[in-house]
Amino acid sequence: MIYFVRRIVGIIPVLLVTWTLVFIVLEIIPGDPVNLMLAGRPASEEVRQRERERLGLDKPVIVRYGSFLVRAVKGDLGDSFRTRQPVTEMILEQLRPTLELSAGGFLVGVTLGVVLGVVAGIRPNSWLDTSAMFVALIGVSLPSFWTGMTLIFVFGTTLRWVPIVGDGITALILPSITVGLFLSGGLARLIRSSILEVMNQDYIRTARAKGLAHWVVVMKHAMRNALIPPVTLLGVQFGLLITGAVITESVFARPGLGQLLLQSVLNKDIPLVQALVVYATGVYIVLNLIVDLLYGVIDPRIKLEQAT
Amino acid sequence: MRKLLLLTAAVGLFAGTALAQGNDIEIVFAEDRVDHATFDPRVTQSRHEEQVITQVFDQLLAADENGTIHPGLATEWQVSEDGLSFTFQLRDDVTFHDGTPFNAEAVKFTFDSIVDPDLGSQGAVDIIGPYASTEVLGEHEVRVTFSRPYGAALGAFAESELSIVSPTAVESLGNDGFAQAPVGTGPFKFIEWEKGKQVVLERNDDYNWAPGYMNHQGPSNVSRAVVRFIPDASTRVAALEAGEVQVSELVPALDMRRLSSGDEFDTIVGNAAGLPFGALFNTSKGPFADKAVRQAFMHAIDRPRLAENLFFGFADPAFGPISSSTPSYWAGNDAYYGFDLDKAGELLESSGWKLGDDGVRYKDGEPLSIYFPSLLEPDTAVAVQADVKRAGFDVRVENVLKARQDELIFANDYDMLVIRWVSNDPGVLSIPFHSRNIVEPGKFKFNWARYADDGLDKLLEDAESAATPDDRDKLYGAIQKQVMDEGIFLPIHNQVQTIAHSSDLTGFRLAAGQWQLRFYEVTRTN
Repeated sequence: MIYFVRRIVGIIPVLLVTWTLVFIVLEIIPGDPVNLMLAGRPASEEVRQRERERLGLDKPVIVRYGSFLVRAVKGDLGDSFRTRQPVTEMILEQLRPTLELSAGGFLVGVTLGVVLGVVAGIRPNSWLDTSAMFVALIGVSLPSFWTGMTLIFVFGTTLRWVPIVGDGITALILPSITVGLFLSGGLARLIRSSILEVMNQDYIRTARAKGLAHWVVVMKHAMRNALIPPVTLLGVQFGLLITGAVITESVFARPGLGQLLLQSVLNKDIPLVQALVVYATGVYIVLNLIVDLLYGVIDPRIKLEQAT
Repeated sequence: MRKLLLLTAAVGLFAGTALAQGNDIEIVFAEDRVDHATFDPRVTQSRHEEQVITQVFDQLLAADENGTIHPGLATEWQVSEDGLSFTFQLRDDVTFHDGTPFNAEAVKFTFDSIVDPDLGSQGAVDIIGPYASTEVLGEHEVRVTFSRPYGAALGAFAESELSIVSPTAVESLGNDGFAQAPVGTGPFKFIEWEKGKQVVLERNDDYNWAPGYMNHQGPSNVSRAVVRFIPDASTRVAALEAGEVQVSELVPALDMRRLSSGDEFDTIVGNAAGLPFGALFNTSKGPFADKAVRQAFMHAIDRPRLAENLFFGFADPAFGPISSSTPSYWAGNDAYYGFDLDKAGELLESSGWKLGDDGVRYKDGEPLSIYFPSLLEPDTAVAVQADVKRAGFDVRVENVLKARQDELIFANDYDMLVIRWVSNDPGVLSIPFHSRNIVEPGKFKFNWARYADDGLDKLLEDAESAATPDDRDKLYGAIQKQVMDEGIFLPIHNQVQTIAHSSDLTGFRLAAGQWQLRFYEVTRTN
């Protein structure tokens, strides 16, 4: 419990540093925010001055920094330059499709990755190992746009089994496979090497000597000990996913945070970029915390109180 | 007995309705952008946002796909003798989608709000020109007055930016709310905007005021139209072929050729009005400071062949600083800079550029090298590079991103840059050619030729305030002639809107400017 509180409190300085960095970046980027907001429209000085006052840009830097922090704490990260909507609202709108794709991709990735990794790990250097690792290599190597287009061509255009840009759960299949295939590659390789290492440990020999069935040895004794590295990787990968899978979103014409981030950067929509960076930071902090907690669940010998 | 008759009539009516619904069409249109910001016609400056706006709104006057003006929400109009005032008689049978009546007050409200700085208009505020005021003369009569003669006025009243908006909706939603849920008088109602995904439109069942030039009257046969945002061109084509969308814009030329050769799809090509795809020569420094070198460069390019090779016949070569579908296009453009390598050689010789052993021309030991950073259409840049090599130009093409191009523009570090601009108004010529639009530190503008001439500036200003359409044509003609004589702009090919649609459907019509597609008249092919 103390550990948990300490971790939560530890988030504060990280967020503070991120917000400060984001604020500094906003300050040093050339170009008057008012000009950006007016999108090059020739506006009179009177209009510009009114906009500056509205955005609080007429105040000294330190006052603006203070009020930025105060607003950020309250969850108000400002309005988009382009759409004039609150940026938090814009992010929330894109959260659902992003979570859907993350969940779908994660499911495919973990299932495929675990199967390939375990199969390869328990029969090292067999033909099973070679073929599983070949599939894994293809998964990590193929770019998402190629995988996506190929899936569209085969299952969407030619066989017409699933919709390409439609609605509902069926439209989630191809994008999930595209994302999952990529995830599974790295995961399978990591699980394989992790299992190989564990299988040579003394306690595995002991378990076998006790006469336990092969699958019990693998699933109960080996897997549990082999899980720590893959779980760490999955934390990072899930973070990547829920901050937006920009290429997959683009190929399958899905809304999502990846598209939002891409467009905000291309349009120099600074408040939106800022908010997305803050969101991504938050996501990674939370995921790291979850992964650390999972270590303790997977291997009770890891005492969280000592981990810090 | 009477009851029975009524009942029969009612059943008959129901059957009729059911039949009508059987003919109802639902279409999905694949659009290549995802980053729409507003659907308020008074605010937008994006031709992509106008794809939706075109379906939802009407204007005082209606322009067909060739830019010819017809009566719209106004049935008649008179111009005052001094050319400053336009009096419109309005239709009295029109209602907005929110049920409120369209009247003179709505016209006044719309135009007054456009010039109000609080709205933050980006397009309409320019199109409305020297607007002074609107006077309500009666429930269905208004007079719009300008502060100086405005030759472009009639065309402007037909532009989608000057669509008439529902004052009630603007007042209840606020400007920012209206941008998300616009209310007009058009053939389709705006139902829903799923950000980054699609806009859903539904038929306006009360619609009975279509402009007379259209082939359909009354409510549209299209009961529901979805504008689906699909940024990837291959995905747009795949979704079209799988039948998930019925019509797609910006279809790649190769797919246009394939789709048009079968029976399942038909194609439509729009020649967009405005600046064609072309290049501005940097006249401030380097080899292109010399007019003869610029002219030689243009003579060295075989534009018809280049357009054919790159677009398989789906884009026409361009010959003037505005495309031929733009109002006030000057026919004289077509005679300039035909493909003539001998002429190019002579011009370069006369300027002292002599052919070296390596096929490149030299002057005072310096090679004739051209730096061409290219943001758009890398294939076109390379084709140009190959053509002019035969005349002894050594062109260095560099594919750049927008940020890099901006940097080069501010640093004045380029010999030529590509530009294109969709616009219905020849006034677009001021953007790259008026000297006030030469880039200054901190101010991003588009006169990348860095060409400054008082005579041309004066012509551009006079053309904007020309009193009659004839004067306007003459002035814009003179402007185009000077741009071509001076050789500051290389027209390459017309910007094309390439549309493919299921051949089950017919009646798609391009809006004026030939970019947006109207869904109103769509019907099933028999």
